[in-house]
Amino acid sequence: MVSRRIIYLILTLVILIPLLRPFKLKPLPMKPVEKLFYYINNIPKDKALLISVDYTPDTEAELHPMTIALLKHAFHKKIKVGVLTLTLLGLGLAEDALQVVLKEFNEKAKTREDSIIYGRDYVFLGWQTPPLVPLLGMGESITKVFPVDYYGNKTDTLPLLKEIKNYRDVGIVVSISGSAIPMWYVTYAQTTFGVKVGAGFTAVSAADYYPYLNSGQLTGLLAGMRGGAEYEELLEEHFGKTKRRKATEAMSAQTTAHIAIIILIIIGNIIYFYRKKK
Amino acid sequence: MSTDIWVWIAALLTLGIFSFLYKDNPFYRFCEHLFVGITNGYAITFYWHRILVPSLINPVSRGEKLYLLIFAFIGALYFTRFIPRLSWLVRIPIAFVLGYGAGAAIPRTIEASIIEQTKATILQRSNFLNLFDGISSIIIFFGVIATIIYFFFSTERKGILKHLSYSGIIFIMLGFGASFGYTVMARISLLIGRLTFLLRDWLGIIK
Repeated sequence: MVSRRIIYLILTLVILIPLLRPFKLKPLPMKPVEKLFYYINNIPKDKALLISVDYTPDTEAELHPMTIALLKHAFHKKIKVGVLTLTLLGLGLAEDALQVVLKEFNEKAKTREDSIIYGRDYVFLGWQTPPLVPLLGMGESITKVFPVDYYGNKTDTLPLLKEIKNYRDVGIVVSISGSAIPMWYVTYAQTTFGVKVGAGFTAVSAADYYPYLNSGQLTGLLAGMRGGAEYEELLEEHFGKTKRRKATEAMSAQTTAHIAIIILIIIGNIIYFYRKKK
Repeated sequence: MSTDIWVWIAALLTLGIFSFLYKDNPFYRFCEHLFVGITNGYAITFYWHRILVPSLINPVSRGEKLYLLIFAFIGALYFTRFIPRLSWLVRIPIAFVLGYGAGAAIPRTIEASIIEQTKATILQRSNFLNLFDGISSIIIFFGVIATIIYFFFSTERKGILKHLSYSGIIFIMLGFGASFGYTVMARISLLIGRLTFLLRDWLGIIK
């Protein structure tokens, strides 16, 4: 019997080596990712992208690159953005993603028009509980559900929220989550108000969400780190090189780890059948 | 190597959690308990400052929205769990939450997860606009029927039912395989995330 510690050691080495010496991989965007990308790309000027940062630090590695990529996409296209979270621990992550992307865009901006400005181009609504309140309440009035934003400003004074009043003014809600929260958006927001929903989720949940893409209830989806890498690839194809592409950078380590696991599964099966035969 | 004390704390806590891979140890347990404690402390603080103070305490202390005190009282009944003689009162707030939750969830869940999914399974002309979509739709249709029949225990599996339920097992196994494959991808991604943090943010070995 091989000690599981040996397997952990092999996996660590298999991941460490490509992180230290990465090889180039070009992620090939799949249809579900393309669907989400092109839907967001074509959001009308008077509609907003609502990003629900519904994950916690334990799934940051997989999901944070998605939030960053979506924000970059929206700011490139000058789409109005609302950011919120239905999980308390998502607040810090949403703020971090905003700061990373704002820094990148505002460093390059030469005029006020080019800059990404709070209240005009984006708002950070913060967190509200219980989740049913924002999920259903935003169908009537976003400012009633979030009377103050994350920074303590009264939301009815923000120019963006004078135009974006409820789900009718939202092009799509994209919920990024390590749990079932994207399904809550489908069940409550879409079923009741007909708003379009996209989802980004950890690979563990991927098999559960594909049927909702097939039925058209999800407009597009990003499954795991690979989904994030594919979205980053589409961003680069359309808007040129951007700063760090976290998901894409991890793909070489992801690939070697998958190969190692496939080999371990095959070896395990050979040993099993050999012993059975004996 | 990082000079930021918070990066060092995060790195040492990461190593503490990883130490469980060797065997359970006090350092791992310290990190685990610290995580649970900090998460709860953070949540309680936020609930107080972001929910209770602006939504209840501030308006009530100004003499506005006094009806909120009724709901606050009902909510406070959750704490009767700690008093054995009065613990039955906890059923009152639970009844409100369950009643509201079930009322909101049941019709919408039926709509989103049963009616819409059934509609998507039905074969229509629009499913056959191209060959790939057509084949996929037939496989989905057949897979759904076969899987449902596998879980149909009210009659003996003979004839067509036997063959369909056997096909159902194959579809279920394929589903499990896809789930396990994705699970591997997810767990590896999380490990990559932590190792990248250790190598880049803490040790500064990679750029």
